[in-house]
Amino acid sequence: MRLQNAALGAAGLAAFLALGEAVPRLGLVKEEYFPPTSRIASAFADELSDGAFWTALGDTLTGWALGLAIAVSAGIVIGVIVSVVPYLREATASTIEFLRPIPSVALIPLAVLLYGSELRSVLLLVVYAAFWQVLIQTLYGVQDVDPVADETARSYGLGTWARIRHVLWPTALPYVMTGVRLAAAVALILAITGELVIGAPGLGARIAVAQNSQAVPEMYALIVVTGLLGLLINVGARTVERRALAWHQSVRGEVAV
Amino acid sequence: MRRQLVALAAGALLVTASACGSSGDSGDSDSGSSSGGTTTVKLGLIPIVDVAPVYLGQKKGFYGKRGLKLEISTASGGAAIVPGVASGQFQFGFSNVTSLLIAQSSGVPVKAVSNGIASTGVAGKDFAAIAVKNGSSIKSAKDLEGKKVAINTLKNINESAVRESVRKDGGDPDKVKFVELAFDQMPAALDSGQVDAACAVEPALATIKSQGGQVIASPMVDVAQGTTVAMYFTSTRYQQQNADVVKKFQEATAESLAYADAHPDEARQIITTYTKIPASVLAQVTLPKWPAEPNKESIEALAKLGEEDGFFKKTPDVDALLP
Repeated sequence: MRLQNAALGAAGLAAFLALGEAVPRLGLVKEEYFPPTSRIASAFADELSDGAFWTALGDTLTGWALGLAIAVSAGIVIGVIVSVVPYLREATASTIEFLRPIPSVALIPLAVLLYGSELRSVLLLVVYAAFWQVLIQTLYGVQDVDPVADETARSYGLGTWARIRHVLWPTALPYVMTGVRLAAAVALILAITGELVIGAPGLGARIAVAQNSQAVPEMYALIVVTGLLGLLINVGARTVERRALAWHQSVRGEVAV
Repeated sequence: MRRQLVALAAGALLVTASACGSSGDSGDSDSGSSSGGTTTVKLGLIPIVDVAPVYLGQKKGFYGKRGLKLEISTASGGAAIVPGVASGQFQFGFSNVTSLLIAQSSGVPVKAVSNGIASTGVAGKDFAAIAVKNGSSIKSAKDLEGKKVAINTLKNINESAVRESVRKDGGDPDKVKFVELAFDQMPAALDSGQVDAACAVEPALATIKSQGGQVIASPMVDVAQGTTVAMYFTSTRYQQQNADVVKKFQEATAESLAYADAHPDEARQIITTYTKIPASVLAQVTLPKWPAEPNKESIEALAKLGEEDGFFKKTPDVDALLP
């Protein structure tokens, strides 16, 4: 089954690449603006042999990883506190709903004013965008706690910390993991967007330079790199999720009664 | 597994704490750091042809021999550089004259320290041009009335200049429909007919020309003779507190500009180190002029045009802006 999936995935990708080669070659779009796959591939190979490319990749991954780590830890801690402390949920609900839809990129001028064009500006955008994904999922997860289980734990004399640890956390973890997976993708998008617009070092800034330079195949090669990075991050996040939730019925695949 | 997760969360918290801690020291970053007689200054640039002299001057040691170490940060547009300099994230920046005049007239404390680039002053052979598609019915700037003209930023230097070209050609600039579009997208937009004309700069202009596009006007030439288009600048506060660093930067930049102007081949060569302009395109690029001194009359002309076009909150003070 998995082998078949992989084969289908590869076939889909091959068809896509062939289409990318054929469309410009047939003159449906101009080669100058949309180079065929083979030219993008050779620009991609050139990138791989350039040391500056690897530095940029490292910068992007640093921004992504740091931003995601901050967003995830802040999202979980604040999510749990907000849910556990009485009345805090109601008091913060409207504020969260107000702040959450603000697009992170709207904060670019603020980021530049505070931190110039460096890593911290990108972090601001990444953390702002990724934080809500984790927070909201954590809030939902904590809400899902079975009141009977919670009451039982209480009557057995478990303290607040023990109840968070043994009742609340196992219930919330599947939700949190979904939040982390969403946040991982959002963080990558924002890291690259931030670099692209602000000019902080990384793949995004390299794309911007290629754009300004009329270096079209190089630009697409870098865009392909960001796509691959997104793919890897998604696969990685799913693997982490499966391992962290190995005990959970959704992964174990058995009916728990 | 659970223990690992706890460790991961704890690690992440530590990172959060240290990230917050390090933001506290940003206050002193605007004084530049100095050690052993060398002052490190941060310079905010756009990675384009215009700033080649700084890269060349850095390579030639014009900054180093004056005890300056340049730390270049690139931003994708001038919009990120003015606030960066005003807030002290960069000690120096590069921006076009109209943006500096807009900043100055709205009370942002900026001070020009050195010339940046100037127009070649030769109509039809400038680094900036209004271009149309091959075979277009638009033959001169006056014909732009009622047409869609692509411009990189609305209400800024290029709009001023294009309006002046139309005005000088006997047309009404208010009848031109300006569309905001990044320079790099102009060749495709022109080619596909999404816009009727584009005010492009190099290297997009070279791409347009290679597709058979025609230059119908040279807006920077119409503004004034040898127009100063962009300058290096600092904040007034930094200038007051570090007058000697500013003076060294001024001297080193003047030397770099003169050197680049006299050695265009070396300038072209250095461009390949910080951009990705393909060699075939770079050979076709018209380089700007890099005079060491700004041209005050042209800056006054831009101030006057900007005022006519309503870009400023109040009349900018050119004398206060210039070094």
